[in-house]
Amino acid sequence: MSGPALERVQVPAVPAKSRRERIALQRLLPFLSLIILFIALTLASPNFFTSTNLSSVVRQTAVINIMALGMTMIMINGGIDLSVGAILAMGGLLGTMAMESGMSIPMGVLVGILTGLGCGLANGLMITHLRVQPFIVTLGTLGIFRGITLIISNGLPVHRIPEQFSYLGEGNLLGVPFVLWILVGCALVTHVILEHTRLGRYTFAIGSNREAAVYAGIPVSFHTTAVYAIGGMLTGLAGMIEASRLMTGQPTAGQGYELQAIAAVVIGGGSLQGGEGSVVGTLVGAFIMGLLSNGSDLLGVSPYLQQAIIGAVIILAVTLDEVRKRRTAAA
Amino acid sequence: MLLELDHIEKRYGGVTALSDGSLTVQAGEVHLLLGENGAGKSTLMKIIAGIVERDAGRMLWQGREVHLKTPAEAAAIGISMVHQESLLAPHLTVAENLYLGREERLPFGWVRRQRMIESANRLIRDHQFPLRAEWRVEKLTPAGKQLVEICRAILHGSSLVIFDEPTSSLSSSETAEVFRIVRTLRDRSVGVIYITHRLDELQSVGDRVTILRDGKTVHSGALAELTTDRIIQHMVGRELSAIYHRDPLPPGDELLRVEGLNRKGELHDISLSLRAGEIVGMAGLIGAGRTELCRALFAVDPIDSGRVFVCGREARLRSPQEAVEAGIALITEDRQITGLALRLPIAHNITLANVRGISRFGLLDRGAQNSAARDFMGRLRIRASSARQLCGRLSGGNQQKVVIAKWLFRQARVFLFDEPTRGIDVGAKAEVFNLMHELARSGAAILMVSSEMQELLQVADRILVMREGRITGELPGRSTQEEIMRYAALETVSEEIR
Repeated sequence: MSGPALERVQVPAVPAKSRRERIALQRLLPFLSLIILFIALTLASPNFFTSTNLSSVVRQTAVINIMALGMTMIMINGGIDLSVGAILAMGGLLGTMAMESGMSIPMGVLVGILTGLGCGLANGLMITHLRVQPFIVTLGTLGIFRGITLIISNGLPVHRIPEQFSYLGEGNLLGVPFVLWILVGCALVTHVILEHTRLGRYTFAIGSNREAAVYAGIPVSFHTTAVYAIGGMLTGLAGMIEASRLMTGQPTAGQGYELQAIAAVVIGGGSLQGGEGSVVGTLVGAFIMGLLSNGSDLLGVSPYLQQAIIGAVIILAVTLDEVRKRRTAAA
Repeated sequence: MLLELDHIEKRYGGVTALSDGSLTVQAGEVHLLLGENGAGKSTLMKIIAGIVERDAGRMLWQGREVHLKTPAEAAAIGISMVHQESLLAPHLTVAENLYLGREERLPFGWVRRQRMIESANRLIRDHQFPLRAEWRVEKLTPAGKQLVEICRAILHGSSLVIFDEPTSSLSSSETAEVFRIVRTLRDRSVGVIYITHRLDELQSVGDRVTILRDGKTVHSGALAELTTDRIIQHMVGRELSAIYHRDPLPPGDELLRVEGLNRKGELHDISLSLRAGEIVGMAGLIGAGRTELCRALFAVDPIDSGRVFVCGREARLRSPQEAVEAGIALITEDRQITGLALRLPIAHNITLANVRGISRFGLLDRGAQNSAARDFMGRLRIRASSARQLCGRLSGGNQQKVVIAKWLFRQARVFLFDEPTRGIDVGAKAEVFNLMHELARSGAAILMVSSEMQELLQVADRILVMREGRITGELPGRSTQEEIMRYAALETVSEEIR
């Protein structure tokens, strides 16, 4: 196997190490901003770095965070799920109704999770079998799921829930909020799926180039559906946490949450084009948004301005990420 | 002198794309720009067309130094580029595309549709192009799209037109049409820069040649003074020995048999057989159904009737997934769209079709993945900084080798190569052929589709010829181009897109 011109290897002229370090540094940017934000808030407000406040940040962000984990997988796959807010409400409602009708708390939570799984499965099957864009399908199911939830509940929240159920969202285990354990658990599982299993590898491949994935013999429809189902499951769990925090099953819960989940993924380096994103990035993204809103509350910034700030942060984060990608993608 | 480039330099980050690019173009000449992929041709052209800015060196336009910052600035002084991959808006009409960005300025952004269409049609008639101004661009063939780009250059009175591999996706009659247009432009004293990989077409169009290698201009002069061998020598930096010819192996077991395969409107009564150790060529004109056959064999498209046997067993394949499981590999003609996940690393792409092979207890074994990737990168001489490099940043030849590595790692038995050498340079071509030989020696069966007959004659043990969805002939490996053409184009030559 001797061909011409083989020994000529294209290597960058600058020492590879400093280059790699620079890229690594840029990749850490969201992480650094989170830390800086954390320190700044600690200095700015005496009420920030207290265990009460920090656990309330964790509790507030956990719901979006868990949803965003599923959204990360879906977006890496090249899709999007606009219906997560409605899935959250349906999961929370059916789970609490199950408890109301006498089921045990774990069973109720399971009902909520399975409801989410079912919704996600429906999304995935429709996307892969009708061959309609995920944006459109989930825009439709956003309405359908919400409508069904309202019909089932007749628009009324579920109140008769066992008191111990509040432990899920408000309890502590070993001195930290119980939801933090759940979040860490979900994040670990999602991370392992994405980075260390075939499903994860295929998810990246499908999002990066769906056609190439088909031609490589990957069962694309199956794995795409699986990703939506897992996303739905996580959302169902988030719905139960939300219900536990409010101690009601609200048919109108979760409105607008889909955008927050998408924002978390995007701030964390995910892309609407697919093929990019990570669990750590998404967690950082969700916490950046959580800290911004908590910090604004503590510093007395008006909630109206808060929204604008978070909007600006989304654009800023994605811009910085784009700049990084353009720089590293030398011809 | 229309254009003079003098010692142009360009770096992207730490990578030097161009270290000493020089080029001069006169009005009324066709200047060929040659070089392997990665030699710096595209970068040099992007600098001329204002797409990127140079880091050092001088660029003189009609004797005056210019610094072009945008394609619009280049267009304003009369430089335009016909891109290899069409940069047209597919949902707009030909006329709208021609005038895109240069509509008449009327109040309220009003557009005079009718006038636009009329003047576009006048231009098309003048040049006898097979186009209509009202057609939507998405319905055009690649050749048609290229024509639209050429029209755009003419329409805006460009005095320098750059053609970036215009014929890489065209049939021979379309290619002839492009040559005719290039000559027309030259006769109207337009300067033309013509980039190509196809050494066989040089004599038909060029006046002078500039050859780039490793970002440097290594030769510039009249075409008449160069032989093809000299040109290749300049491009690759050393002599290219006759590497191709080989003695056919004794054919082994039949690995693929197709009986009476039909697919409505595309494939008619196809029967063929591939044996282990064989390289079978597949010739034909563009549109003869060769790619369609590959797609049907790989079960991308369903077949209407016919039987397919893989490794002696009948295979009813319903999806590429099943084809892969049966042991078939398809190296598609368009590796960027169907072959590679460009935004993923080399290691991921190589192991993509065989993730099971790097899994243990359901989890990916990174060590196994990386050692497999490194192994194939070494064996196939894939030039990259590491297995983590993204495939989008590799040259065409290296990308093609990654695709092949993917199927080697999958241990496929039947390889369908669809235009395996399209868009890759001379050196990489030789390597791909060598790989195919090695594959055959290790007991694989290979079907190689190619539009370059010379290639088929060099590589294949026997050659099948297709025309209009049928296999019209079978020839021994040592045939001639004329014999192939007889089967490939018996009645169709005159009818084709004219």
